[in-house]
Amino acid sequence: MIDLDRQTLARMIDHTELSAHSGEKKIANLCSEARTFGFYAVCVNGGFVRYAVEKLAGSPVVVCSVVGFPLGACTSAAKAFEAREAVANGAGEIDMVISVGALREKRLDFVRDDIRSVVEASGPALVKVILETCFLTDEEIVAGCELSVQAGAKFVKTSTGFGAFGAFPDHIRLMRKTVGPDIGVKASGGIRNFKDAWRLIRAGASRLGVSASVAIVEGLSLYRFAPDAWLEEEIPCHFCPSRFASIDKQPKAVYAYYKKKCLPCPHLETFNRFYE
Amino acid sequence: MNGWMGRIVTVDLGSGRQEELPVSDEMRRRYLGGRGLGVRLYSDLCPQPPDPLAPENAILFMAGPLTGTVMTSGRFQVVSRSPLTGTICDSSSGGSFGAALKSAGLDGLVIRGRAERPVYLVVSHGQVEMRDAAGIWGLDTQRTQKALQERAGAKASVACIGPAGENRVLFAAILNDRDRAAGRGGLGAVMGAKNLKAVVAAGDRATAIADPVGYKEMSLRLDRAVDKNPVTGKSLQVLGTSVLVNIVNAHGMFPTENFRRGVFNDAEGISGEKIAESLLQRQSACYKCPIGCGRTTRTRNKSGEGPEYETVWAFGAHLGVSDLSAIAEANYACNELGLDTITMGSTIGCAMELCECGAWDAGLRWGDAGRLTGWVEDTAYVRGVGADLALGSKRLAAKHGRPELAMQVKGMEIPAYDPRGAQGMALAYATSSRGGCHMRAYMIMPEILGHPVFLDRFSTAGKPEIVALFQDIAAVVDSLVLCRFLQFAVGISTLSEMLRTVTGLDIGDEELLRVGRRINTLERLYNLRAGFTRADDTLPPRFRNEEFQTGSSRHRVVRLEEMLDRYYAVRGWDPQGRPTAATLAELGLQDGRRG
Repeated sequence: MIDLDRQTLARMIDHTELSAHSGEKKIANLCSEARTFGFYAVCVNGGFVRYAVEKLAGSPVVVCSVVGFPLGACTSAAKAFEAREAVANGAGEIDMVISVGALREKRLDFVRDDIRSVVEASGPALVKVILETCFLTDEEIVAGCELSVQAGAKFVKTSTGFGAFGAFPDHIRLMRKTVGPDIGVKASGGIRNFKDAWRLIRAGASRLGVSASVAIVEGLSLYRFAPDAWLEEEIPCHFCPSRFASIDKQPKAVYAYYKKKCLPCPHLETFNRFYE
Repeated sequence: MNGWMGRIVTVDLGSGRQEELPVSDEMRRRYLGGRGLGVRLYSDLCPQPPDPLAPENAILFMAGPLTGTVMTSGRFQVVSRSPLTGTICDSSSGGSFGAALKSAGLDGLVIRGRAERPVYLVVSHGQVEMRDAAGIWGLDTQRTQKALQERAGAKASVACIGPAGENRVLFAAILNDRDRAAGRGGLGAVMGAKNLKAVVAAGDRATAIADPVGYKEMSLRLDRAVDKNPVTGKSLQVLGTSVLVNIVNAHGMFPTENFRRGVFNDAEGISGEKIAESLLQRQSACYKCPIGCGRTTRTRNKSGEGPEYETVWAFGAHLGVSDLSAIAEANYACNELGLDTITMGSTIGCAMELCECGAWDAGLRWGDAGRLTGWVEDTAYVRGVGADLALGSKRLAAKHGRPELAMQVKGMEIPAYDPRGAQGMALAYATSSRGGCHMRAYMIMPEILGHPVFLDRFSTAGKPEIVALFQDIAAVVDSLVLCRFLQFAVGISTLSEMLRTVTGLDIGDEELLRVGRRINTLERLYNLRAGFTRADDTLPPRFRNEEFQTGSSRHRVVRLEEMLDRYYAVRGWDPQGRPTAATLAELGLQDGRRG
């Protein structure tokens, strides 16, 4: 049963436009849609923060900026500078990317300090930490969540949308379990329709970073008809990170980690039978 | 008046008399325009289903409240009783004729009676003039359009019939704007039976917009939605509708040799990718359309528009033909002569199987690409084997004693998605108000393309509810008179926002869907009066009894009985498929004359 109304769903959405080829026209449309549909925030690259703030003047829609995006591999000082400038331009929220490589090398102090430097530079703005879960094992995801909370971040977030894959319910459940009820969990990447969104919300996501926001909100109005049929989950593999593991896009060890989880899974037989 | 022009004119071709048909605001609110308002007006004008080819039958050319405004709004709907199926029928066409009709001052044109001699109608400044068509009768659709544009000006838009319509072929199409076709249902034959060669529309009246600021914002959002959607923003633009060939074939439901197999081994050779590589000259688009799914193509002998997906299938896999040039040329011939490519190809496929099993000795053989265009021409002129092909597959198969070999529902041939590969599509075919049509509820969207979500294509669970919902949305889009491809990019809320900003009518999503339900129920009532029953909501036995042995839809049959009762219940119809009194009351259809 869907116990979610349209307004509540819209207030869970960061309406996002982060592609390299976006210009002011696209950002203006993004802001117009955010106003019309009542989305919580627009999420844009730092260069468009001031423009989006102007476009959204007088509306409750928050402007969110990304920092260290999409690789997270720049210096902490550069991230802090980006965050400070974005907040000065009117950003109310900051989505920063962690240093994925450092986390995988277990340089945990470095990662914690990296996040803390952005939290401090952001002042009153709320900070969300993008873990880029597609490059991490479950253990590393747990560590990333714990470090984020220790560093003062208010949200953890799955993905940039530029990695090997986006948000999956398994990861959201793990992140929610790790951070508890008081810290936000933002799902992002690959959320294309209401069914994807609903699956992640049920798994514990409190915010969604999506560019298909209008389709998702409009989708809710369709789901009132035959919700059981629309939301039927016949094969769990369709939203399992192991199924989307890619040797081309992931580090070898991470790819092997996910594939190893796949082999003993009881759903594998169902999947193979369906597609035989 | 915002949105609508506020004028619909009735012309009696026999007497030449014209009068304005009054339409109340309430009726516009309840039926919008296009298909919905057309069906309602037709039901009032012809309450007892007439012989489709008799003078008593009416044919309506309808624009909608959004026509001439937002993207893809150049379309129009033609409404009448189909000579092919006997059902009430509306047929939609792209191009710009709809916008031209409206800029000529009309929301709709109703034509009744029969002219003594061939005529054509010219619509401008809200008036309709009847002119002698002696000089153009007998011309094909391309020459007809050219001749009439020379008389009326290049900006005029012409909707006309070719020789097939003049000869009352039961699946004759109406062509406009060169190669756009109101193809399905044979409404071109209705025009031919009235001695009506064409309708020409031209004008300069603009549609008034209720909320210009909101309209501009909504248009920008629409641009973005269409651009972002991978189907409307990429696939259809790059490869046209034939992008579906490889996809549907991979799903094992690309009907091959009259639906005997679901995989065509030469699919790659007739795919959208192959068309782009070999025949494509340029992309083409209808009025105000950023998608541009049309293909202008050239073979060694000719050039023209298409073929699009359904035609590639009808003259290709369905007949065992993999010669893309032959398929394209058969398509050009259908456009020139004014024939529905789906019914034409499907009927030839039926004939090939009749010949193979010895029921008909006419020499049609699988894979005979060289004779395709000849068969099309023979059909349009009702000569040789064409005299039989002109019957359509249902009558042809019945005539030769093998009715089960016609792949049709209610007399209309099923298009290029084998229903054994998608249970929802099967139910949509069976319950469509105009027969075997994929456009009444395009269940390929969720079952194959995953929009708005992927549904298990082999499951029947929930499909009755979703088919009914898709049918209602389709009725709304057809009544706003927009392109169905917009459904990939926007939902019901955006449709209701479009209606609000253009007309000022703020009826909301719920009411808009009720409009769709009302239209589907009204069509059902008409078909019941025309003699259709639950027994007609079915599919040919091949789909219920025979399984494919290869491909990813193998070992499947259509399980219609699991869905039909539930579908009727969802619709508020009794177990025989008759709308209940409560449903009629809820939809405001309790008027006994229409019920």
